[in-house]
Amino acid sequence: MTEVQTDSLASTRRWAIGLSLAAAAGVLATLWMVFFYVPTESTMGVVQRIFYVHVPSAWNAFLAFVIVALCSLGYLWLHDDRLDAIAVSAAEIGVIFTTIVLTTGPLWASIAWGAWWVWDPRLTLTLLLWFIYVGYFMLRGATENPERGKRFAAVLGIVGAIDIPLIHLSVLWFRSQHPKPVILKPEGPTADPRIVQTLLLGFLSFTLLFFALLLLRYGVERMRRSVEALRYRQAMDSPVTHDSQGVYR
Amino acid sequence: MSAFVRQVLAIAGKDLTLEARSRERLVSMLTFAVLVAVIFSFALDPTVRGRSIAGAMLWVTVIFAGMLGLGRSFASEREQDALLGLLLAPLDRSALFLGKFLANLLILLVTELVIFPVYALFFQLPLGRGVGGLALVVLLASVGFMALGTLFSAVAAHTRLGETMLPILLLPLLLPVVIFAASATQHLLIGRPLAEQASALRMLLAFDVIFVVVGALVFGAVVEE
Repeated sequence: MTEVQTDSLASTRRWAIGLSLAAAAGVLATLWMVFFYVPTESTMGVVQRIFYVHVPSAWNAFLAFVIVALCSLGYLWLHDDRLDAIAVSAAEIGVIFTTIVLTTGPLWASIAWGAWWVWDPRLTLTLLLWFIYVGYFMLRGATENPERGKRFAAVLGIVGAIDIPLIHLSVLWFRSQHPKPVILKPEGPTADPRIVQTLLLGFLSFTLLFFALLLLRYGVERMRRSVEALRYRQAMDSPVTHDSQGVYR
Repeated sequence: MSAFVRQVLAIAGKDLTLEARSRERLVSMLTFAVLVAVIFSFALDPTVRGRSIAGAMLWVTVIFAGMLGLGRSFASEREQDALLGLLLAPLDRSALFLGKFLANLLILLVTELVIFPVYALFFQLPLGRGVGGLALVVLLASVGFMALGTLFSAVAAHTRLGETMLPILLLPLLLPVVIFAASATQHLLIGRPLAEQASALRMLLAFDVIFVVVGALVFGAVVEE
């Protein structure tokens, strides 16, 4: 088992602050580009601007899921508590970005498709990803033994990661009506270069935001665990005494 | 017969003997399934022909009845810490998983053997012609269902929420199995030939292999103390 190093948190915090500043600048620049730089898309109109938040959020949601799966695998293998701390932090950020995707998507779809929700492969996949995340947190919360809770969460993280491609495959087989990619095509992007630039900056700044949040959350999680360990040790060291009402002190 | 297969059969035999003596899971699953059929026949508009939505009705019933049975799958292991005894026995963790899985699968298959004729009776479904193909679909889908089900019923049994936790964990992960099972069942029931369902059967088989192997590999992490 790897030894827990508490001094590494100082550098984690430095990185977290640096990344947060970069992410804040990036997100502000993306917003400026979305509102003042990028041209209005010709067929969908102004509602298409939500796309620059929607797609990078979806990217972050799936990035989080991959990190959860890899850290879960590592945790079951190495039993390193830090990997579990990263997994739980990534899962929390993942559920936030999945919620953003599931909110911005219907807002756009209600105008572009005339329906708030359709059972399209990518929508279904994101919804199920959200449910797997919800199960992940419920499972941790409902397990009394924390070590067992970590193992259970890791098992769900791994099985979920294997299942997500299968879900996608099955639903694709079922039907598809999500708009086809217009940026990533073999013959090169057909969209206006300003649209591509805005989207790329969106990806970059949301990815920075993701890692900034991950490091911040990871620092908090590690601190929470050391506080818990200290409290436990204190309770073990001090003799149990009763006051006159028989209440433990 | 290798030691591993003997271990698997011993665990499956233990669970099946328990079930044969108590019959508590079979009785509750079957009663539940028939009651769901009754609910369906009154919840549906009388103009809806049962035959046109039979695949969906059957699989909704099978999944929920199966989950009811899975909730009891680790009940005997929880009482008096019997699981600890099993873990202390010289027994491979994946043999333990496969044994529990096999017992759960057989119990589900027996239930399905009743559910399908009951639905055929209640909703005038033509079971006669495509019955061989239908049996194949049911078998393949049940293997995948029970592989994931056995794994997550062990997980759910150790949580404070118990059986309530099981559907929340299991239903999202089961979607691939449900999609192919319901669609193949529906097509076979309306008289389409089995050859058209070859791709669905191949997908179900692939899911079965993946879920059984993954379940056997990670089960140790679930039960270990």
